[in-house]
Amino acid sequence: MSIHIEKLNYVYQSGTPFSHRALTDVSLDIADNTYTAIIGHTGSGKSTLLQHLNGLLKPTSGSLTVENNKITAETKNKELNDLRRHVGFVFQFPEAQLFEETVLKDIAFAPKNFGKSDEEAEQIAVKMAKLVGLPDSVLQKSPFELSGGQMRRVAIAGVLAMEPQILVLDEPTAGLDPKGRLEMMEMFDRLHKEQHLTIILVTHQMNDVANYADHVIVMEKGRVIADSQPAEIFSDPEWLKAHHLGLPQTTAFAAKLQQQGVPFKTLPLTEAQLAAQLADMMNEQGGGLRG
Amino acid sequence: MSGIIDIKDLCFRYSQENEELDLSHIDLHVNEGEWLAVIGHNGSGKSTLAKAIDGLIAPEAGEIYIDGEKLTDQSLWNIRKKIGMVFQNPDNQFVGADVEGDVAFGLENQGIEREEMHARVKEALEVVGMQDFAQHEPVRLSGGQKQRVAIAGVLALRPKIVIFDESTSMLDPEGRMQIISLIRQLNKKEGFTVLSITHDIDEASLADRVIVVDDGKIIDDSLPQDLFQKGNQLIEIGLDVPYPQRLKGELAQRGIDLPQEYMDEGSLVNWLCRSILKN
Ligand SMILES: Nc1ncnc2c1ncn2[C@@H]1O[C@H](COP(=O)(O)OP(=O)(O)OP(=O)(O)O)[C@@H](O)[C@H]1O
Ligand SMILES: Nc1ncnc2c1ncn2[C@@H]1O[C@H](COP(=O)(O)OP(=O)(O)OP(=O)(O)O)[C@@H](O)[C@H]1O
Ligand SMILES: [Mg+2]
Ligand SMILES: [Mg+2]
Repeated sequence: MSIHIEKLNYVYQSGTPFSHRALTDVSLDIADNTYTAIIGHTGSGKSTLLQHLNGLLKPTSGSLTVENNKITAETKNKELNDLRRHVGFVFQFPEAQLFEETVLKDIAFAPKNFGKSDEEAEQIAVKMAKLVGLPDSVLQKSPFELSGGQMRRVAIAGVLAMEPQILVLDEPTAGLDPKGRLEMMEMFDRLHKEQHLTIILVTHQMNDVANYADHVIVMEKGRVIADSQPAEIFSDPEWLKAHHLGLPQTTAFAAKLQQQGVPFKTLPLTEAQLAAQLADMMNEQGGGLRG
Repeated sequence: MSGIIDIKDLCFRYSQENEELDLSHIDLHVNEGEWLAVIGHNGSGKSTLAKAIDGLIAPEAGEIYIDGEKLTDQSLWNIRKKIGMVFQNPDNQFVGADVEGDVAFGLENQGIEREEMHARVKEALEVVGMQDFAQHEPVRLSGGQKQRVAIAGVLALRPKIVIFDESTSMLDPEGRMQIISLIRQLNKKEGFTVLSITHDIDEASLADRVIVVDDGKIIDDSLPQDLFQKGNQLIEIGLDVPYPQRLKGELAQRGIDLPQEYMDEGSLVNWLCRSILKN
């Protein structure tokens, strides 16, 4: 499913003394079956933008079109049902989307709601719980009596159980342990590659942008200040620095080596790329010495 | 020597029906002024340990001493004044109608006089970079802004012990490092004790000491450099390996011979430069 956003503005509590402008003149396109990373500082408007994608927020002015559903300030909530079915949304804080009595019921909610029998829905839930690494011992517990990372996993499982076509992920790995983080990012990547889900990821982890995304949008103070590809964005450390954004760890590390005189033609984005380049340089060295 | 936190054989379970203990025979001694990082996989018991120290849950066995005083129903209120805790989800701790009021709330409760209170609120909001949002409603902030305000609320109280439960997990890397280094400076200058629960290996590497929690037990208690040398063993218990260690692994796979000992970023950069640019 593709997304087209045109001149979108959003003002919180519009028309009150507390009105607060969060998005200004945002226009962008997200093609079907792409993996988009949205990056930017605290408060730059990333979550506000995401919440438009399933109609949780409606533009104050301007519009967005998700496949054939156009959403403007006038769109009625019931016109959004079809859209919401296809857009899976993992919120920044997982508690915000948990509500059932047990973990299993929580995950089974969407499949049941979309017409699966109780039994089928439960089977899907058990499968999803396994997929996100939840231990069996928590399945009958209340989702609110879990650790932070376990809640996160339940929220993700519940969204996957919807079988969405677009996956909207707002810092989905915050609170996960490193192993869980990696497994979850690899799983999203598989869904993207094998089942062709369109993925939109908000993250502060430049490593994830370098490793997974094919499209990057940079937000600053409610505006889109760059719309590009990872290799492109990370080839300009000066620009990133000026906007207080970081580099992937590998690129930053390689830049330090470069400063000391190690010759890189282009700065690598991933560990494997860097290790391969360094190994080549060292083997050349070794060969030179031996010969 | 008595520490600021002393835990002896602490056991806890959330429900009598649980066969396994959620905290199992915990012994922990923390010195005043120490910065202790607490790491471990999801569900290992880190937040539960923090809640026990703050007297929010009652142990089934064992004892907790805070600043030399035993934690009991009677001493609870006195002890809590010494502890400031930032919860994993900041929404669970906002009480004020606006950011300023929220940060001031705990101070009002402690009977701090107005002038002093204003000064402390202002200072705390500046440390976390939220002075421009003083009049905003805490629940109507972005994720990272909420975390900043929650941290300010605890800093303003100037407690003897600060517990951060993944309190910077939603900050951008630059903002996170700024806040952490500011708190680190305060910790060195004012001598309060920090317990920082984190999944961020870089943050943990700044600590004086790191404990690893697994299945409700403390399974490791080391200096950061000693812990991170364990490489793949860390991954097995669900932890990350610091970047230089990971890169060393990738290089080793490609047949490059590297020194065995733990190398931080600077020493790995130096070593690589020497090997590549040796003529
Ligand atoms: N419910 C709300 N009511 C009023 N203002 C809000 C609300 N939610 C967010 N804001 C404000 O809108 C701006 C954008 O917030 P948003 O949550 O979109 O930021 P973000 O880029 O997701 O930041 P973070 O990385 O911290 O999560 C911020 O200045 C924030 O204070
Ligand atoms: N309120 C609760 N009621 C019952 N069980 C709970 C409650 N909170 C946590 N648990 C359980 O206790 C165990 C330890 O949870 P805890 O929250 O201490 O983990 P944690 O180490 O903080 O994990 P995370 O990294 O995910 O935050 C987990 O198995 C969890 O399911
Ligand atoms: Mg956000
Ligand atoms: Mg926790």
